[in-house]
Amino acid sequence: MAFRLNGVGLAYANGFDALKGITLQAAQGERIALIGPSGAGKTSLLSVLGTAWAPTVGTAEILDAGDRPRSAAALARLRARIGTIHQSPPIPGRQRAVTAVLAGRLGRWPAWKSLASLIYPLDIPGAGAALDRVDLADKLFARCDQLSGGQLQRVGIARVLYQQPDLILADEPVSALDPALALATIRLLIADAEARGATLVASLHAVDLAIGNFSRIVGVKAGRIAFDLPAGEVGIPLLHELYAGEGGELPVQAHEPHFLSQAAANDAATRAACC
Amino acid sequence: MLLNPSARDPAARSRLIAALTVPVVLWPLFRAAEVEPGALFDPDNLKVIGHFLAAFLPPESGAEFLGYLARATLETLAIATAGMVLAFLLAVPLAYLATGAGREQPTLNPLTRSLLTVLRGIPELVWALLFVRVFGLGPAAGVLALGLTYGGMLAKVYAEILESVDAAPARVLRHNGAGRPLAMLYGLLPLASKELASYTVYRWECAIRASVVMGFVGAGGLGQLMDQAMKMLNGGEAATILLTFMLLVFSADGLSGWLRRSLDRPPANRPSPFGGRSAFFGLALLAGAVASFKYRDIDLASLWRLEAVNSIGTFVADFFPPDLSADWLDKVARGVWETLAISVVGTLLAAVAGMLLALPRRWMPFTVLLNTLRSVPELVWATMTVLAVGLGPFAGALALALHTAGVLGRLYAEALANAPPAAGCALRLAGAPGSPAFCYGTLPGAAPQLVAYTLYRWEMNIRMAAILGFVGAGGLGQLLYVELSLFHQARASTVIVAMLLLSIAVDQASAWLRRKMH
Amino acid sequence: MKFSTWRRLALKGALACVAAAAVSASCLVSADEAVLRVSAIPDEAPTELQRKFAPLGKYLAAQTGMKVVFTPVSDYAAVVEALATKKIDLAWLGGFTFVQAKVRTKGTAIPIVQREEDARFTSKFITADPGIKSLADLKGKTFAFGAPSSTSGSLMPRFFLQQAGLDPEKDFKRIAYSGAHDATAAFVAAGKAEAGVLNASVWDKLVETGKVDTDKLHVFATTPPYFDYNWTVRGDLDPVLVRKLTDAFLKLDPAKPEDMEILKLQRAGRFIPTRKENYEGIEKAARSAGLLK
Repeated sequence: MAFRLNGVGLAYANGFDALKGITLQAAQGERIALIGPSGAGKTSLLSVLGTAWAPTVGTAEILDAGDRPRSAAALARLRARIGTIHQSPPIPGRQRAVTAVLAGRLGRWPAWKSLASLIYPLDIPGAGAALDRVDLADKLFARCDQLSGGQLQRVGIARVLYQQPDLILADEPVSALDPALALATIRLLIADAEARGATLVASLHAVDLAIGNFSRIVGVKAGRIAFDLPAGEVGIPLLHELYAGEGGELPVQAHEPHFLSQAAANDAATRAACC
Repeated sequence: MLLNPSARDPAARSRLIAALTVPVVLWPLFRAAEVEPGALFDPDNLKVIGHFLAAFLPPESGAEFLGYLARATLETLAIATAGMVLAFLLAVPLAYLATGAGREQPTLNPLTRSLLTVLRGIPELVWALLFVRVFGLGPAAGVLALGLTYGGMLAKVYAEILESVDAAPARVLRHNGAGRPLAMLYGLLPLASKELASYTVYRWECAIRASVVMGFVGAGGLGQLMDQAMKMLNGGEAATILLTFMLLVFSADGLSGWLRRSLDRPPANRPSPFGGRSAFFGLALLAGAVASFKYRDIDLASLWRLEAVNSIGTFVADFFPPDLSADWLDKVARGVWETLAISVVGTLLAAVAGMLLALPRRWMPFTVLLNTLRSVPELVWATMTVLAVGLGPFAGALALALHTAGVLGRLYAEALANAPPAAGCALRLAGAPGSPAFCYGTLPGAAPQLVAYTLYRWEMNIRMAAILGFVGAGGLGQLLYVELSLFHQARASTVIVAMLLLSIAVDQASAWLRRKMH
Repeated sequence: MKFSTWRRLALKGALACVAAAAVSASCLVSADEAVLRVSAIPDEAPTELQRKFAPLGKYLAAQTGMKVVFTPVSDYAAVVEALATKKIDLAWLGGFTFVQAKVRTKGTAIPIVQREEDARFTSKFITADPGIKSLADLKGKTFAFGAPSSTSGSLMPRFFLQQAGLDPEKDFKRIAYSGAHDATAAFVAAGKAEAGVLNASVWDKLVETGKVDTDKLHVFATTPPYFDYNWTVRGDLDPVLVRKLTDAFLKLDPAKPEDMEILKLQRAGRFIPTRKENYEGIEKAARSAGLLK
């Protein structure tokens, strides 16, 4: 079992109920796409899976760690097995790509290795290989503030590839990429998960990208699960119902809308969660 | 794409060179500063400082002493306020002349700029020492000294703030035929006023600390009392004076925080911008300024009588030409090196200590510790470190480090709090333990700010290091003090020029390092 | 919001200008009442000097019919400069500061009186180190003088060290200026300096009042006697006033209890007349020690 959410509700400090009565589970190795209108609760759901937020109601068992790990060390051990691709890559501009990728293993490295690696990167081939998989091998030693938004997003993906987590959580992983690259990147993530038997949960804005690549689709609306179906059973009417109020058109790759304000709100939520 | 498996970090070479250069540069500086951590734990020294600290309790509370203390505190406040008024009056026209803002062609006025450099480059205590001689005894010297140095600093920062705001509104006004002053009033000031006001209030806070030490050279105020209490090793008096310092600095801190916050309040909905609060504030300011000048007769007008101008003339003439004989230059050069060493070692120690104090800042005791370190001026710390580790440059470096650690700790904590948190959070969510998550996530975001703060402090510390010798803590200060005491003006003049050049050189080096970091 | 802050700033600026105008206006009205301005070199704590001067100031006011104002300072040279620029009328100077004042005023400053004991003044070399027994043992030690321009705390000891074949700049490990005589004793007692020198009169006072531990600190050398402190007036002071002041000092009689009070605070047996020539020896010493050019 990769995770089991049982009646999970999540209320933010300002009283907003982001999630209500979510019951969802996945076997190890499943690949799930979360879709739904913006503000539906996809990011909140991923935050609960990523242990950033503990549910206010219900239980969340992640990677056989049981509900709520007992100690800080146990939580850290669990988190080292979860890799998150963020909507806006959380990488300091002045850091070099190699360091940003190596940071993926901080949860597993002893402290001395982490600190020494700041002075001289201790696993250049590893970082290079991860960057190579997202077509950025030539940017190995480039500073992140010299990369474009799309390149930076791919560095974030390379970090998770390098981390080799058992559970990959991806929050709009390809929103900054052009359609062709987005498709290639989603396939790369799926291939990586498949090869290592890891579970992948990705929230996607583009419905076609989700249905075309993932076996299981979970529709989220207003903090609840609207449907949870194999990709083949998700029909157009269902989607229209999910996105009702978005202007009648389904969000697809070809004209991926970019919701800056939404990204900012999500950022704020993450910040509140762990700091 | 194929990856070259033998790829090596291209930055490794330059990092190695840097790692080798830094100790090579720092080692002689640490030697020159006579850094001897052992001295801190020397049993004899421990006994001396222990006795001294034990004498802190109970703090002196005799009526006669408290009377002196109250008068000295008022004097300090008066010097600070009057000095700031003078500095402000000086800074406004100078900033107007120096700034490139609002000009059709961006010409920087080199004459005004260099005047500002000279005003800022000579520490206020040196100005005070000179003015005590020229203008006689009493607080006028302190007021003038503060006025000049702070006038120079305010003007420079005003000029920079005006240059940093959006130039377009002023440009448009000028194109529409407005003159430069009006274009600046309507086009630049609305954008810059908050920052200008905020910096002015911050400087007033600094002026209080600075006027505290004026007494060390005979310009009255709390410094004079502190100087004597320390010289006589009178712990009880020193404790009371220190408490007064802190009270003063904390209240100034609180007041300036309140003033800065009130700048953020939206305006009332009425045609006149001046409401009851502005009127009250204005009256209080006026009353404060007048009272400050009245207190102990800070009579600046008397400075411009013919006889006074004459005596200033002869006094200044004595300083020219500076003594450039080889053995004096040799002595001054050694003083310069020692001063540089004190400033570098002091700033580095402070950076390390400040960082350690900034990390756990959320806990109450650390805030109190930071504020305590910060509120005691370097020169006062020096009187104590001299006791703890003996006379010499190490005492100076320690004194700088103590005060600066308080300042930097606070700035670092702010910079870390303002650094984008997402990166560090993400790493912690990937299971990274605290310190690696901090080093990989938070630190790189805050680093430019941290480095900039440290370098700015170094620029201030070189000016401070130059005068720590007044209390026996090494550097150029002792040379200057002795030569001025002996009326060897030509030699003193060499020392002052050396101080000026040194501070200019450090400013340049710091600016270069900051550019390098980007 | 932006406009409002700017307006507030304008208000402040305007008020500052008004304040400045008010202040300069108030400066023009300075009353010309007869004031005798007095100061003293800070060879002791300024607060102490102020306390000591209070009864003497009252006495001088009564004798001259003028208002007496005492300004305490913490810088020797400031007193000299103030006398030279006529900011003060009467000053308590040391032997060397008098010579400096004489040079700065082109010979016009007049010493009027000195204490009886100032005609035969000495300095004491003290240490807490039992290994130091003579001046020659000072080589390689840290040493504390008083203020750089003190006669008994710096100049004369230097001169006698020089005659004993020691150059403080070269032979001592480090020299420090404590700034005042009691501070020198405190420095040496605290181990901040291995040895130091201070004037005999302050040393005696410290010993009498138990402020120093004589088991720990000991005197290992004493200088030959020289002329020290005096009361000096600026040269262009009204001769009638100078006469009055001189007489006032000389009239102080140790047999009268109220005069005794004043003399005791000044640590004087009585005051005697003095003259410039008394200080020629000090001037020579200063030139030879390189303190006067």
